[in-house]
Amino acid sequence: MKPVSASPLSPSVKVKLLNAGFHTSEELLQLKPLQLSKEGGLSLEEALEVQQILSRGVDQPGEGGARIGLTALELLQQEERSIVTFCSQLDTALGGGIPLGRTSEVCGTPGVGKTQLCLQLCIDVQIPECFGGLGGQAVFVDTEGSLVVQRVADMAHAAVQHCSLQDHDSEQQEAMKDFTTENILDHLYLMRCHDYVELLAQVQLLPDFLVRNSKVRLLVIDSLAFPFRRHFEDLSVRTRLLNGLAQQLIQIASQHRVAVVWTNQMTSQVRSGQWELVPALGESWGHSATQRLLLHWSGTQRQASVFKSPSNTERSVPYSVTQHGFRDAPHASPGASGPPRREAPSGGLSGSKRPRMQEGQ
Amino acid sequence: MASKKLRRAGVSQELCELLKRHHVESCKDLLSLTPLEVMRVAGLSYQNALTLMRSVSKHCAPPVTTLLELWKPKSESFFSTSLPALDDFLRGGLPLGTITEVAGPSGCGKTQMCVMLSVLATLPRSLGGLDAGVVYIDTESAFSAERLVEMAQARFPDHFSSRERVLQMAGRVHVFRELTCQDVLNRLDRLEVDIISTKAGLVILDSVASVVRKEFDTTLPGNLATRSNLLSQEASTLKYLAHQFNIPIVLTNQITTYLGNGAFLMLNCHVTGVATGSGAPGEVDSGFVTAALGNTWSHTVNTRLIVQYVGARQRQIVIAKSPVAPYTVLNYTIQKEGICLDGEYDGLLAPREQLDPGLQPIRVRTEFNYNLSQPVETDGDS
Repeated sequence: MKPVSASPLSPSVKVKLLNAGFHTSEELLQLKPLQLSKEGGLSLEEALEVQQILSRGVDQPGEGGARIGLTALELLQQEERSIVTFCSQLDTALGGGIPLGRTSEVCGTPGVGKTQLCLQLCIDVQIPECFGGLGGQAVFVDTEGSLVVQRVADMAHAAVQHCSLQDHDSEQQEAMKDFTTENILDHLYLMRCHDYVELLAQVQLLPDFLVRNSKVRLLVIDSLAFPFRRHFEDLSVRTRLLNGLAQQLIQIASQHRVAVVWTNQMTSQVRSGQWELVPALGESWGHSATQRLLLHWSGTQRQASVFKSPSNTERSVPYSVTQHGFRDAPHASPGASGPPRREAPSGGLSGSKRPRMQEGQ
Repeated sequence: MASKKLRRAGVSQELCELLKRHHVESCKDLLSLTPLEVMRVAGLSYQNALTLMRSVSKHCAPPVTTLLELWKPKSESFFSTSLPALDDFLRGGLPLGTITEVAGPSGCGKTQMCVMLSVLATLPRSLGGLDAGVVYIDTESAFSAERLVEMAQARFPDHFSSRERVLQMAGRVHVFRELTCQDVLNRLDRLEVDIISTKAGLVILDSVASVVRKEFDTTLPGNLATRSNLLSQEASTLKYLAHQFNIPIVLTNQITTYLGNGAFLMLNCHVTGVATGSGAPGEVDSGFVTAALGNTWSHTVNTRLIVQYVGARQRQIVIAKSPVAPYTVLNYTIQKEGICLDGEYDGLLAPREQLDPGLQPIRVRTEFNYNLSQPVETDGDS
């Protein structure tokens, strides 16, 4: 019970508070700053300051609720790193690659290269730091059975070749000794989940796994959609499970400083009498990932569109999938190389593949 | 594994009884709850509820491996198709543990491909086979045992020189005729047993499309959803078995006409009106032919091979979707010994030629041979 008159406040504030009928510091702390400023005739800043000064003596330090958030400036200084995709145009569009600590969703039609992009990221995250990489490890949760080890080995080999061409100083040469195809495969953890229960169980255990394997910087789920696209008579259960899962993944991303990437399938939907392709799992699922990437065909060219991102503008860039992995499109400037010999099946179709975010859904 | 009872997941008797009163009996039931709900039904504190969920998770979660442990020599992770060029592109053949789809118009050689793969799977390992049995699920009554024997003898005359070996080979191919959706589903339910009892190294489902397309009129409301549910159930079972037994699973699929302005029109037969030979199906406004069963289904197959016509005898295999191979076109003909690639393959087409594999146009035969002086191949597929 500390009287207001004895507290370390400026005299003018003290007078105002006493006039308003406040006598003890407890009375002041029971109020929210806004109320205090009204009742005590203080400015908002003064009211806040009063409470901060008084609460220093009262509050136990380290209370969860009293923790002050970070400012954007502080976040900027922390400078989260990104995983490069090996497609320079896509990296530019993403502002450097797939960011750590965030969730990203990759949507796309079958065979367009979703799994290839994920595998490429699993390899790229392991590039040693002296080559500008992260020197991390990766976890690949496979629900579709589309991971072929031989393909990963080929892509890893190509990445090793790529780096070995650039080893200039002794540090890089030293790092190359550990950056081998075998080591890349050894640092890629695979979890094969056959149904959604196994996936839920696995995600429950992931925080522990990430603590034990603290070098993991990337978590891939390929695909999140497949196990959730059957067995659900009650769609509300599915929505609830998915939302819980998204919440857990976001937590994993931010607490363990890993990039979380999942893939989603495309589904056909009738809208105003027209068929169009939209990402599966419903419209509200679109809110789950911080960043969404759509891989699609534009005629004979593969294109990646960033269509939800807090920091980058919407744009489409061409890419290609080669023997070596996920790469830049062979012609840096599409369109400049003359029109493609074969046009898209129809203009209307490629237009409709860009899912339209409709309001009110 | 999902229906594993809680008691077997290390949950105490007492707690099991308590949870049972709330209809929470299996791991699946428990993991579908939020931690808060677990707190309520089990009467636990938040921390204990989390611990319970984690310990149950440990009993259901699949083991973690690194890719290095799974990296095996090519011969142990691929099933050779005995077509050297195709094997080259697929990095050794059909990947084990995954689903391969062969799509194409009728009479183009899908069933021939399946019969040929059946022969190959029974071959000893020294000849590139799997030395295993085959489960052949035939929904179109298209399988012909005579053709199997003929193909085996023509393709491997040295190995199948004795009658005994031929009979032994034929005895290892187990054919199941399932003509309705329900029969197919029941068969897939029992497939695990069949694979173990026949020591199967290859499962063929010819065709996945025919029964569902016969039984579901997709123009009726609700039917499309039921159909895709059924298909994803089939796909999920097949994927699970493929991975568990590490065997290849081969499916065949039919074709459908895709109308350009975004409407699907399912045609079971009599697909005509698409220009062939000109090599530019995209120019046709009226639509084009592509693999059936829609986009969602296309997601579930790991490798998609498309067979299509070029001329009356000449056909092509297109690798339309594959985790390892680029888009490739190979020419083949159907001979007595099965599918034979033409001596020199076309080589790689430029990557920009590739189209969305879900919408890959397929060339069908338009000009049927009216001139009967030159006999047309009629295969058991149609």
